[in-house]
Amino acid sequence: MTTASKTVLLTGTSPLYSELLQLLKEKGYRVVSLAEMAENRTEIRFAVEVTNLDLELKKAAIRELDGKLPANVPILTTSLAITATEVASWTQCPARVCGFGTLVPLAERELIEIAPALQTAPSVLEQAEAFLQSMGKQTEVVVDEIGLVFPRILSLIINEAAFTVMERTATAQDIDTAMKKGTNYPYGPLEWADQIGLDDVYAIIRGLHRDLGEERYRPAPLLRKLVLAGRVGKRSNQGFYQYEPKEVSYR
Amino acid sequence: MAVHSIGVIGAGTMGAGIALVCARKGHRVHLLDTNQDVLNKAQSYLLEVLSKDVQKGRISKQQKEQTYRLVVPVQDMALLKESDIVIEAVPERLELKKSIFASLTEVCRSDSLLLTNTSSLSITEIAGGLTHAERILGFHFFNPAPVMPLVEVVRGKQSSEQNVTRAYQFARDLGKVPVVVADTPGFIVNRVARPYYNEALRILGDGIAEVDQIDRIMTLAGGFKMGPFELQDMIGIDINFATTESVYTNFFHEGRFKPSRIQQRMVQAGKLGRKTGEGFYDYSK
Ligand SMILES: NC(=O)c1ccc[n+]([C@@H]2O[C@H](COP(=O)([O-])OP(=O)(O)OC[C@H]3O[C@@H](n4cnc5c(N)ncnc54)[C@H](O)[C@@H]3O)[C@@H](O)[C@H]2O)c1
Repeated sequence: MTTASKTVLLTGTSPLYSELLQLLKEKGYRVVSLAEMAENRTEIRFAVEVTNLDLELKKAAIRELDGKLPANVPILTTSLAITATEVASWTQCPARVCGFGTLVPLAERELIEIAPALQTAPSVLEQAEAFLQSMGKQTEVVVDEIGLVFPRILSLIINEAAFTVMERTATAQDIDTAMKKGTNYPYGPLEWADQIGLDDVYAIIRGLHRDLGEERYRPAPLLRKLVLAGRVGKRSNQGFYQYEPKEVSYR
Repeated sequence: MAVHSIGVIGAGTMGAGIALVCARKGHRVHLLDTNQDVLNKAQSYLLEVLSKDVQKGRISKQQKEQTYRLVVPVQDMALLKESDIVIEAVPERLELKKSIFASLTEVCRSDSLLLTNTSSLSITEIAGGLTHAERILGFHFFNPAPVMPLVEVVRGKQSSEQNVTRAYQFARDLGKVPVVVADTPGFIVNRVARPYYNEALRILGDGIAEVDQIDRIMTLAGGFKMGPFELQDMIGIDINFATTESVYTNFFHEGRFKPSRIQQRMVQAGKLGRKTGEGFYDYSK
């Protein structure tokens, strides 16, 4: 592949951003930002958009990509907080929009899910699969719904654990211990949430609650408040647990 | 408080395992069951496990004999009189458990610790109306008890803090990992794990992904050891459904715990998982 065919535009504010940036670079992609779009317009082969919590910001970014990138450039967007179908509905060229979704840390994900919007063109879906596979991940194509499969199920487990702490039924430590020692979870749900970022977890549950309208998806008030307070987990040194401040890392 | 003698009531799956856990730590155990056959089976089970321990070089023949002899099968509750701690593991029926705890209150010293291995009943309800209810707590092992490290120490409305500490320490002394939880439906594990099954069923029902896809995603993307459907097949779909129903009912029909019709149909069809040869997967071949 030439450099030009490996140019990817990456934009968004979720925890996925920095990990995807690193992984794309490792796999030999040239990555440009939204600000650099104009001068690289003809070289960009793929756009990846990953904002979850702030949907206004997501909409603005998607509209900008759709308005400025040639119509044959696929836009891969996270369908964690909103369906890919709704994101595609914001664009002039919905056939090029395709959903995907996963949670950090990417190193632990052998597989990433893809969810085509109702409008996604088959060729775009193929390109999306090939693209994620080029990053060393297996793919699984599922029907478009908020949070796909793994992020949705895990977020709801975390939500239940958040209710359990909020109600003082058990401590965060004891909940995590119980799930690891009583049912073999790889991590306790609350330490897992701190690792993923509470903002992404909350965005998923809020989205399910908004779109499906059921009590089943009501976000735990504690989770919502932690996100509002900026206590999104390890990366802010505080979430369900408190962490030692670490050296500031650059992006 | 030193523990000299333990009573275990019910010598079935859990009771026999719990008796083994206690005996391995050198405790004398009175293992009570109303059914002599069950007691005989429990003893063969103990011999079998301990013989394997000898074969694997974990214990000597002499240790095996000693441990085996520590478990005394009994059918008369009066023999539990001297027990410092009693662990009840009879079938999951409220009235049965209530009557057993009422008898224990008569038989045992008022400072003995009375524990129930219930998975889904309220400790507070079991202890309701009994004298010295402060020493009645939940002590929830996981199956198989000798293998799974967790014990949920369940604090009933009337349980005293001092007895919570005693039960916690006792679990530690048994080599288990205890956690403390208030008396709420499903305690920790059976509650927090509900979405793993329920949401997978919902995703299936809404046509978002298929059974094998969901299992593959949860293991490869999520790092779970088993997918939600293979796990239900292993646990027993009827058992899993009953747990969900119980948590749902006891949370007064909170929407988060709503059971799945797909799962109910599997139970109605007798497709219960591995034990019937078919569940979400076919095991007959
Ligand atoms: N099996 C599991 O996976 C599991 C896990 C955790 C907790 N539990 C709980 O442990 C308890 C026991 O479950 P189990 O699977 O071992 O059941 P089980 O049916 O294997 O054993 C129960 C035993 O109690 C005996 N029994 C019945 N009435 C009695 C009485 N009045 N006095 C003395 N013994 C009597 C029965 O003969 C039987 O042997 C239940 O409360 C259950 O919810 C079970």
